[in-house]
Amino acid sequence: MEQLLVPMLCRVEKVISETPDVNTFRLRIKDENQLQQFNWRPGQFVEFSLLGYGECTFCIASSPTRKGTFDCSIKKAGSVTADIHSLIEEGMDVGIRGPFGNWFPYDEMKGKNLLFIGGGIGLAPLRSLIQYCIDNRGDYKDITILYGARSSADLVYKEELKEWQANPSIKLVLTIDRPEDNWNDNVGVVPKILEEVVKPSIENTKVITCGPPIMIKYTLLSLDKLGFEPKNVITTLEMKMQCGLGKCGRCNIGHTYVCKDGPVFTYEQLKALPDEF
Amino acid sequence: MSYQIYQTDKAGLAQFYENIIGKNETYAPVLNFEKYEYKKVSKLADCNPESPIVLTMSMKPLFFPKNSAILKYKESSEGTEIIPDAEDDLAKKRVVLGVKHCDARALQVLDKVYQWDYHDEDYRKRRENTLIISTRCEKAGAHCFCTSLDYDVENSDAYDVMVVKAADGNYYLQAHTDKGDAFLKENTGKLAANDGIEKIKEQYTAFAASFALKMNYEEVSKRLNEQFDSSEFENATSNCISCNTCSFICPTCHCFKISDEKIKDKGIRYKAYDSCNSPYFTLMAGGHNPRPVKYRRWRQRAMHKFVYYKERFDVNLCVGCGKCAISCPVNIHIFDVVNQVANKA
Repeated sequence: MEQLLVPMLCRVEKVISETPDVNTFRLRIKDENQLQQFNWRPGQFVEFSLLGYGECTFCIASSPTRKGTFDCSIKKAGSVTADIHSLIEEGMDVGIRGPFGNWFPYDEMKGKNLLFIGGGIGLAPLRSLIQYCIDNRGDYKDITILYGARSSADLVYKEELKEWQANPSIKLVLTIDRPEDNWNDNVGVVPKILEEVVKPSIENTKVITCGPPIMIKYTLLSLDKLGFEPKNVITTLEMKMQCGLGKCGRCNIGHTYVCKDGPVFTYEQLKALPDEF
Repeated sequence: MSYQIYQTDKAGLAQFYENIIGKNETYAPVLNFEKYEYKKVSKLADCNPESPIVLTMSMKPLFFPKNSAILKYKESSEGTEIIPDAEDDLAKKRVVLGVKHCDARALQVLDKVYQWDYHDEDYRKRRENTLIISTRCEKAGAHCFCTSLDYDVENSDAYDVMVVKAADGNYYLQAHTDKGDAFLKENTGKLAANDGIEKIKEQYTAFAASFALKMNYEEVSKRLNEQFDSSEFENATSNCISCNTCSFICPTCHCFKISDEKIKDKGIRYKAYDSCNSPYFTLMAGGHNPRPVKYRRWRQRAMHKFVYYKERFDVNLCVGCGKCAISCPVNIHIFDVVNQVANKA
């Protein structure tokens, strides 16, 4: 197995500062063969290593329709991510293993209305699918994105949010938790804005959501209230992972390996897991 | 089982073992500070294939080392260079003598997790290149309960060859796999008389009658699943000091972690045993931990052994060897934990 644990080297092409504690790292696989074979699907993740400091799990935050490079958006949260933020500069090499895990059922979603609900850094895995849907716009019906953060400074992908706002084929709803000067958009937590502003129809609609656990908890309650069936609500699960190969045991919940059977689950599937969260 | 049975006496068996040790890289139970471990041996006098007690360490380290290098790397102004750390002796043939049934069974259980989806090639090669010669236990140890679980101890194919010391003082050698059959044909002489099979059966009956610990496996497994929210998990494990010894010593615990060490421009990344009993096992960046308290980690350990792995791979993860209880500094036995929880009304 040791061979499967050896990462591919990637050159850091760009470091984009998204928020005070989130950076996006744009990576290019150095070896041409490895680059050609690196085919991911929206929702999959990689093991990202800063050699000498450790390896962490991050979703791929960009769409496979935009090949050549891929993005990982990383929030400073623990020891390795702090090292990643302070040490990685453009032009450096980092290690990548993957892609791992399952993906959003984008084929099943064809011909459906899509409602994306993201909170904070939780927009990262959704962005991969949103970009994919924009690049295959004809395959999907109405696309609505509800995205919220604690403050306007905590919104990630600010440039891209402007593009989405200007895109007539997408409806973007932004919100922040507390009022701010010069903020003319919604104010309020995501579930509240979902119920009071977005007021989605359940008709032919799939919901894809990702965010901090507290947001997910109340968003699921709101979706339930609005009448969405658990099988039409899709989320990606946060669980400590290490090998990505279904071996190291860290991501076990019941007989499920989140790294192999997930990280993408419907709310219906999540309800069937032992209640450990 | 249609494999032939061979018969020998004490001296003949010693000769059989000496020949194996002389011709192969051989591992066998070696007594080390009152504890038996499978160690590499160069002569029969160094080891005891009939070790009277359960081995303190299983065969796990021979297939899944305590720690192993994944890669070395070097940084320069050009960038980073990765040097994978390939083990070169995986193709070497090995024989393990005096293997306890539980230790052999544990490998069959581990095969499942190592051979689904991504295959662990190093593990597979080590498995393929190892011949296992088991000595059937004469009697059960105080912590043993292998006969209470979900498999047939008597007719197991977890080992290639079984050596049985019968009541008549003779030794009977029987192959349990094709690989073992071919090996015996090449390495033994005298076929047993017709009653060989009876002698082996008699020995098993006496062995099976010697178990102090017994449980109804299906019932315990089912009850555990129903008792997920039971406070009995907490009661049964309150003495645990979370030292992780049970996991490291367990023949089927296979969780590992990946760590880095760096000195100046050079470094090493390696894989090492880890344990779900550790408070850090599922601790995530940002401080969230789905198993922040000890009983929840113990619940995961017990349920993984007796419920989840069985659901996933159709074999029980615990093999009933009792090693965890023997080495536990506060005398917790997983047998007692699962039974206490299962029997709670």
